[in-house]
Amino acid sequence: MTLPSGILLAAFAAAALSLGRARLGIGSVRVRRFAPRAGDAGAGVRYAFTAAFLPWAKESASAHVVSYLAGVLYHAGIFTMLICLLLSLAAPQAPPALAGALAVVFGAALAAGVGLFVKRLFDVALRAVSVPDDFLANLLVDAALAAALAAALVPGAAFVFQLTGAALLLYAPVGKLRHMLFLVTSRRLWGAYYGRRGVLP
Amino acid sequence: MNAPDAGRSRSDTAEAPAARSVPGTSATEAALRLLEAGPDAATAASLEACVRCNLCAESCHVFLADGESASAPAAKVQQVARLYRRHHTWTGRLLPGLVGARDLDDAALADLVASAFGRCSQCGRCTLNCAVGLDPAAAIRFGRAIAAAAGLVPAGIWANVTAALETGNSMRIAPDEVRETITWLEEDLRASTGDPSVTLPVDRRGARVLYALNPREIKFFPLSISAAGQLFHAAGERWTLTATDFDITNYGYFAADDGAGREIARRLYERAEALGVETLVVAECGHGYQSLRWEAPEWLRRTPPFRVVSFVEVLDEYLTAGRILLDPAKNPARVTLHDPCNLVRKGGVIEPQRRVLRAAARDFVEMTPNREKNYCCGGGGGLLAASEYAGRRVQSGRLKAEQIRRTGAAVVVTPCHNCIDQLLELNRHYGLGVEIRTLAEVAADALATSPTR
Repeated sequence: MTLPSGILLAAFAAAALSLGRARLGIGSVRVRRFAPRAGDAGAGVRYAFTAAFLPWAKESASAHVVSYLAGVLYHAGIFTMLICLLLSLAAPQAPPALAGALAVVFGAALAAGVGLFVKRLFDVALRAVSVPDDFLANLLVDAALAAALAAALVPGAAFVFQLTGAALLLYAPVGKLRHMLFLVTSRRLWGAYYGRRGVLP
Repeated sequence: MNAPDAGRSRSDTAEAPAARSVPGTSATEAALRLLEAGPDAATAASLEACVRCNLCAESCHVFLADGESASAPAAKVQQVARLYRRHHTWTGRLLPGLVGARDLDDAALADLVASAFGRCSQCGRCTLNCAVGLDPAAAIRFGRAIAAAAGLVPAGIWANVTAALETGNSMRIAPDEVRETITWLEEDLRASTGDPSVTLPVDRRGARVLYALNPREIKFFPLSISAAGQLFHAAGERWTLTATDFDITNYGYFAADDGAGREIARRLYERAEALGVETLVVAECGHGYQSLRWEAPEWLRRTPPFRVVSFVEVLDEYLTAGRILLDPAKNPARVTLHDPCNLVRKGGVIEPQRRVLRAAARDFVEMTPNREKNYCCGGGGGLLAASEYAGRRVQSGRLKAEQIRRTGAAVVVTPCHNCIDQLLELNRHYGLGVEIRTLAEVAADALATSPTR
């Protein structure tokens, strides 16, 4: 194993441990079971993780189509980047046949990330709710996406991608990137709440 | 870079009420204890996962009405999350500036009150529309709970809590006064309907249904009780009112003081059990339904031995079963429907009132948006009792006023007495020239001959 791969592996382990500890820290979710249900909590959860993502399902998406699309591209790129990062432990260089497709995904995600950074910087209402962590987290993700893009296009750049990715993973438990963990819990509860009460789907 | 203060203004801070004294401890210490104990895991997940995208801003009627960044749900969540991070995350303890963590002190408490009470009606529209799938309303409610622990609940809201705890109802109405009012209403109802057999029974043993009231009905809107009585009579229902612990309102719920909420709800549950009814029917009141149908079983950790339903659902059941017949020609004016947030978006009672209204009125039109997507009237969350926020409450009702005006309706129906009070004020303030009515009143006016009579 190369040194960058070793650092990356340690960063994966540290992030997993720290995020796991944070999840345990909020305790177990109390199941609301005494009020008789009026609908299907399971159907609500399924809706939360499927149709509720569609752009017309929520005003937050339908009223902000550009931000919604930027968010979709950004997160699609991040998921792809994390998978590539994990696979890089076994094969540091992505298969050449995939390089073009990966470059498109990472390039689009990077553009979206920069766009969201600029929006946060100049949108008065958004800046009012922002903290330094919002900007730093975005920059770290953007840097990792840029490194992933470089690694896809430039042979030999994989170590940069691995080290940048390690830095991102080490930062993940620090601030807002923790949402990658908690949103799963929260979104499940969101669906269960509306499903059980017969409001959605 | 310093963490911004989510648009805090001096006027907000000045609006915050003085703390009621908590024996043996300071207000801040009491709040700190609650904060350190932490919210439930579901609320904590929302506080942890909010990415401050602010895409929920336009889902909030308060933000849409005043345009102030501090009114955006993300800003209100942020007021709570900053305190949460300081006490529950290691980065909040070590690097507060990076993550915007903040110590809980008097200034933070004042900001919290101004935000969680002054700028939020707990309507939950932000939750429905949260892009991430969080519950901003629950996070803001935790802010209310911290304020409650410090004794900083707006005095008008807290007065209703103490009244309910001390006397069994939030308006301190004595049982004799309830009986006198009901007796008078019964005589009036017999005279107006010409039917000597119609009754408004009180504390009747053997009744199948207990119809529990909002005290405002007894004090200010007794005709809604008469209307319900007419409809129960027409359906041939074995029903009763009660003179003690009859109150469906629960300002403990608004104050986010679950201990008080539990105690208030427990009394009505026990009254229903003592009367041996099969069904507790909650009069037209959004938060009363929310607290009795959905929250009380969790507070009390038991499933009640009776059904808890809204009167709206009961009317729909009578209509579907053919127990009442309604003639829409008796309500010829154009009618629209306002959806109380606690009954509809957070309660799941969405279609019954529409079926009843279609049967009871000739020209029923929906406002836009409607159902679970409807806007709050602005009077939720106990804000009608918080006079210090009256200006913003009426301002935040502007969207509702515009919705109503666009329908061209002459009558606005809403199954909630809180909403009725707010809509009456919006009607005057925005010159809408509409009539505001309960569903029971419209349905009672539409009563045709009943198959059960």
